[in-house]
Amino acid sequence: MIRTRAITKIVSTTEGELQILQPISFDVNSGESVAIVGASGSGKSTLLGLLAGLDQVTDGEIFLDEAPLHKMDEEARARMRGEKVGFIFQSFMLVQSLTALENVMLPAEITGLANPRQAALEALQQVGLEHRASHYPNQLSGGEQQRVAIARAFITRPKILFADEPTGNLDAANGDKVEKLLFELNRQAGTTLVLVTHDTELAQRCDRQLHMHAGSLTEESEEKASAEQRYVS
Amino acid sequence: MSANPNAAVLTLSWRLFRHEARRGELTVILLAIILSVAAVLSLSLFSERLQSALTDRTAEFLAADRLLGSDKPVPDTWLEQARTQGLNTAQRVQMRSMVFANDELMLADVRAVSNAYPLKGTIKLADQPFGLGKAVETLPGPGEVWLDSRLFQVLGIQQGDKVEIGEKNFVVSGVISELPDGGFNVFGGDPLVLMPLSDLAATRITGPGSRTDYDYMFSGDSAALDDYYQWLEPQLDSELHYWRSVEDDDSPLGRSVRRAEQYFLLASLLAIVLASVSIAVAAQRYSHRHYDPVAIMKTLGAPGAMVRKIYLMQIIFIATLGIALGAGIGFAAQHVVAELIADKVPVALDAWHWRPFIIAVFTGVVCALLFSLYPLMKLFSVPPLRVLRRDLGASVGSRISQFIAAGSAIFMLMWAYSGDLKISLILLVTGLMLAAALLVVTMGLIWLGRKLGQGRMGAWQLAWARIQRRAMDNSVQLISFAITIMLLLVVLVMRNDMVKQWQEQLPEGTPNYFMINITDQQRPTVESHFETRGVQMENFYPVVRGRFVAINDDTIRTEVTKEDDERGRRGLGREANLTWSNTLQHENRVVAGSWHGEPDDAQQLYQVSVESQVAERLDIQLGDMLRFNIGSEVVEAQVGSLREVNWQTMQPNFFFVLEPAAMEAFSPTYITSFHLPTEQKALLGQLMSPFPTVTLFDVDARINQLRSVVSQVSLAVEFILVLVLCAGALVLVAQVQSTMDERQQELAILRTLGARGRMIRMSVIAEFIIIGVVAGTMAALANELALYLLQSQVFNMQTAVHWQYWLLAPLTGALVVGLLGAISCWRLLSLNTSQLLRKMV
Repeated sequence: MIRTRAITKIVSTTEGELQILQPISFDVNSGESVAIVGASGSGKSTLLGLLAGLDQVTDGEIFLDEAPLHKMDEEARARMRGEKVGFIFQSFMLVQSLTALENVMLPAEITGLANPRQAALEALQQVGLEHRASHYPNQLSGGEQQRVAIARAFITRPKILFADEPTGNLDAANGDKVEKLLFELNRQAGTTLVLVTHDTELAQRCDRQLHMHAGSLTEESEEKASAEQRYVS
Repeated sequence: MSANPNAAVLTLSWRLFRHEARRGELTVILLAIILSVAAVLSLSLFSERLQSALTDRTAEFLAADRLLGSDKPVPDTWLEQARTQGLNTAQRVQMRSMVFANDELMLADVRAVSNAYPLKGTIKLADQPFGLGKAVETLPGPGEVWLDSRLFQVLGIQQGDKVEIGEKNFVVSGVISELPDGGFNVFGGDPLVLMPLSDLAATRITGPGSRTDYDYMFSGDSAALDDYYQWLEPQLDSELHYWRSVEDDDSPLGRSVRRAEQYFLLASLLAIVLASVSIAVAAQRYSHRHYDPVAIMKTLGAPGAMVRKIYLMQIIFIATLGIALGAGIGFAAQHVVAELIADKVPVALDAWHWRPFIIAVFTGVVCALLFSLYPLMKLFSVPPLRVLRRDLGASVGSRISQFIAAGSAIFMLMWAYSGDLKISLILLVTGLMLAAALLVVTMGLIWLGRKLGQGRMGAWQLAWARIQRRAMDNSVQLISFAITIMLLLVVLVMRNDMVKQWQEQLPEGTPNYFMINITDQQRPTVESHFETRGVQMENFYPVVRGRFVAINDDTIRTEVTKEDDERGRRGLGREANLTWSNTLQHENRVVAGSWHGEPDDAQQLYQVSVESQVAERLDIQLGDMLRFNIGSEVVEAQVGSLREVNWQTMQPNFFFVLEPAAMEAFSPTYITSFHLPTEQKALLGQLMSPFPTVTLFDVDARINQLRSVVSQVSLAVEFILVLVLCAGALVLVAQVQSTMDERQQELAILRTLGARGRMIRMSVIAEFIIIGVVAGTMAALANELALYLLQSQVFNMQTAVHWQYWLLAPLTGALVVGLLGAISCWRLLSLNTSQLLRKMV
């Protein structure tokens, strides 16, 4: 589903160029769930941005569902995101001036799905928030907002879902609830999941864990977690 | 499965618009557009209505809307054409002729008028000479004349007596108190005689050699008048004919009205600028608040074109609503104001003017689009990556290009609206200089802030630190505050200066009666007689009538009186009033040479000072020898100085002022003036009865007319000022409001870190006070420059430095901006920390 080949990211700063990502190569298979873990500033979110087509690589190749993301311009990437990608963010990223229902409808309307309202109501039902459909984000708790975001992420039935610290802003109880919901919906839809997290418990629920450290990636298989390390790039 | 993308765009933008409007998130930008449309519409509609009212009022002084003057009768077809084009016409034939009665005679300004006269204004008749006038609708009947009070006095006649003009006898049936087109000449004008045009031929006074003016008057709507003039113009002979409208009126009144019109124009222009500034500020804020939704939409797959369409559509919805509400509010506001002052200024409320409406809508559209263009472009450039990295903002072009775009837009709007390049340029140039100066000042502040912001963090240090850290944002804020304050200052000071100069023109106690022909022997008696009755006399000016016959050795044939200068009104006589004095008269200014002052033995020749305009007309130079015949005597004097005379002062003024030594041999009569309140008019008979030979000129009615128009204009200006001040205040509120948003995050952090509300409040107030002081100071400087240019180049007024505003502007800036900051801050601080934090998300 995702193939990366020696992708790097270099940004310009006032003190010269800064390489945020060392050449990274790895694959994610269809239906697989992968956690990217690492300390703050290790480059996790940068990698997520590149994989999701929110940002452009400096060098290397990324294929998303066989499509060469690295060759696409912003417009093509936007189309790609709309058709194949779903997102969940730490800070929920709901449009404050739209209701829960309308937030869920948004991707469906942007991509031109038929019957967006019906689909959104069903999606809200799945996350148990149909009774909050007409509430604005600031009238919902953090957990509820994230559940709305999950409903929004699944409405277009994306092939791949990117989650950036999905429980990072939530208390333990709400975090748990969201976590369960996310994996349950993911399982039902057979979506490929790539999530970035600090939370080891959450990471352990994924099929694989990739560790980021200073812009480099190491993959740790569950069986050999404490023993050997294998650089994949 | 794919729905129509345009339908999706429409649905989305309408939904966003609806929700945001309901949640009050569009309030600021909507208010800005409403404000701009309402201010421009109410100001321009009101001033247009006022202008037509004032033009109507001044038309009365022409007794018509337009006047065709001619030295000969014009073809009847010209008048027929005017009537065919829907105009009203009247005729006035005017000449100077002797009026005889009781073996006495007096030269008079005889006016023979047709039945439709006057087309504008009213005639006032008095019951008795020098009595109070009452408006009448009639004209003298056949064989009748109405006479000026002076003729009754000089000829010793009463109503019902007969007078002879040319070869015809008339019955005197009225005392003229006021003719609308009586003119503003204080003294020196001949007494008026009004008779029917049908009787003119019988008098035979318009024969060859007589100097007769044929005036044809027209009234009607201005388009018809313009059409008629277009038809007429090719047939006019500039030697014979001239065309006059109220705009050509060079009387003090005409000038006042023209100046007021320019003021209205200026005020409306400034309203446009204010509106633009407020829209720019609001659009900036609007754009900033939508960074996240745009990033989210892009992340969710919305192509750039879709995002652009959604937001352009939003702006169109907002602009449409804003323009509709603004037009409604603006119309209502000017209607209320016009009703409030209806009894003071006759504003035609029923008249509908499309121009202001079109201008207001145009302004709304242009402002909404042009001033939101740059913020929108920034908004469109927000990258989707912002969903992961919140610090990512927009990145397009530089602020410089934004300023250039905004500046040119404002300039184009002002120019398109006023059609006056000069006013538009003056406002633009001073605005630009202000902006440049403010940038420098902001940099200075950063430097200063570094010095002052060090040390323990108190409220002031925090304020300085914030100003320093947000240098660029603050410079934009400073510029918008300063421009707003400057514009308000310009409108305020212009109004003060203008009203002051009008009032100085006609101060309370301005002489409203003039007396001439007071002999040397009479003078002490007149003085004591008036004094015992509590009437204060002005200066006595000695006068000897003389004929001005030669400049050097060139003989003069022309008459020399001021009236020669004015078409349609001939001079008093072939003689000039010569006076003498060693002291320069008040309101006279020597513009060339030097005043003769006290006699100087070394000087061989007598000196004379000549009024500068007459000198120019007759080509009199300094050092020329002028010769006057006084009776059988000849007086020669050398031109020692040229004087500029303020003819508006309602004081006796003279073309020639000689050195007293030159005139020792002649016994003069005196001219003087006095002020008598209108309600004491009855006292006049008692005052004048012991002096039958002294001639009285009554200019009371004229002065009252002038004063009433000036006070109406002042009142109108006052209302315009209030409207602009309201607009400015609203703009300031919008600006503070928008900057407060940006401070929200910082306040939340400070609050979270445990800073006390009092300290935060004080620091925000301190910051606004600093900004207010700087903006006020810069505004005072820019105001001075703008006023100097406007007053000297556009309004033809005396210029002066307004020191008081150099103190007042920073103080007011600090007070108003500080207060507004405090209010907004209070609103924010009334939320608890978690509410604040939630507002930020």
